[in-house]
Amino acid sequence: MLSRILNVLLGLWLIVSPAVFQFNKTIADNVHIVGPLIVTVAVVAISDSVRNFRLVNTLCGGWLLIAPWVLGYSNMTATINDLIVGSLTIGLSLIRGTVSHQFGGGWRSLFQDNPEHLRLANQQ
Amino acid sequence: MKPMENVSSEIPPGWDYNPSTWGQRLPLVAVAVVGLGISLYLGLYQLRIIPSVWDPFFGSASSQKVLNSPLSRLLPIPDALLGAIAYGVDAITGVFGRTGRWKTLPWLVVLFGVAVGPMGTVSVLLVIAQPILENAWCTLCLISAAISIAMIGPAMDEVLASLQFLQRVKRSGQSVWKAFWGNKAIISTVR
Repeated sequence: MLSRILNVLLGLWLIVSPAVFQFNKTIADNVHIVGPLIVTVAVVAISDSVRNFRLVNTLCGGWLLIAPWVLGYSNMTATINDLIVGSLTIGLSLIRGTVSHQFGGGWRSLFQDNPEHLRLANQQ
Repeated sequence: MKPMENVSSEIPPGWDYNPSTWGQRLPLVAVAVVGLGISLYLGLYQLRIIPSVWDPFFGSASSQKVLNSPLSRLLPIPDALLGAIAYGVDAITGVFGRTGRWKTLPWLVVLFGVAVGPMGTVSVLLVIAQPILENAWCTLCLISAAISIAMIGPAMDEVLASLQFLQRVKRSGQSVWKAFWGNKAIISTVR
């Protein structure tokens, strides 16, 4: 839960950061896209049944680490901001946290030959 | 196989709770109704039935710029009214069915999931579009987006239970199509 909330805050920070630092349009557009994505993924992944959705934020964080070079930022503040937020987002997204419920094997069970829910249903 | 009460158990196999209880569903319905109210209000402005919108943070002018953007008028009806329809579908598909509906009404649960999931996705895209295309923000639009995003996670467990049930129907060699529409004969034989 805490990891997800911190990720939400990082995403919100990304969204407001262009207004704080007066970034140019390229940088602002990038964080205005990635910020809401990070917030959304983190909020959804709060729920136990879709906790692994957090790994989408690993990708978002990874993009932030390369975006300054891919998009050609010429702004040190924006570059450092992306690197810090990207690193923290990756780290937090890799923390699974407590999953206190069982879901019969979860979403991956839908692609398994002998999923847990089927085995348990047949036993009983 | 044990007697009937186990066959009709409302906790899915391998789970430790029932995702279709009222306690699981009613909070989502309540939140959807709030979203419906906000969207209707914004939609009434887009139809010019009310002259302006309330925005304590970015100002009414900013909100109105977003609500009058070309993107919001891409379809024949304004986007806030589409949102209102989606929230309405969320509320209706959330409230119908008994507490075993992940098994007895898979079509309804899947429709509920489809209404909640893609609508949340569209909301995110609209949030992204506000600053990039219009260089403006809209407080109530953001609140509406937050509501639709918050609904996604809590709605998905029930969808998972329904899909796992349909998977068990498929493995039993019976018609997934019939089970999807609530065929009682199949429901009584598959856990």
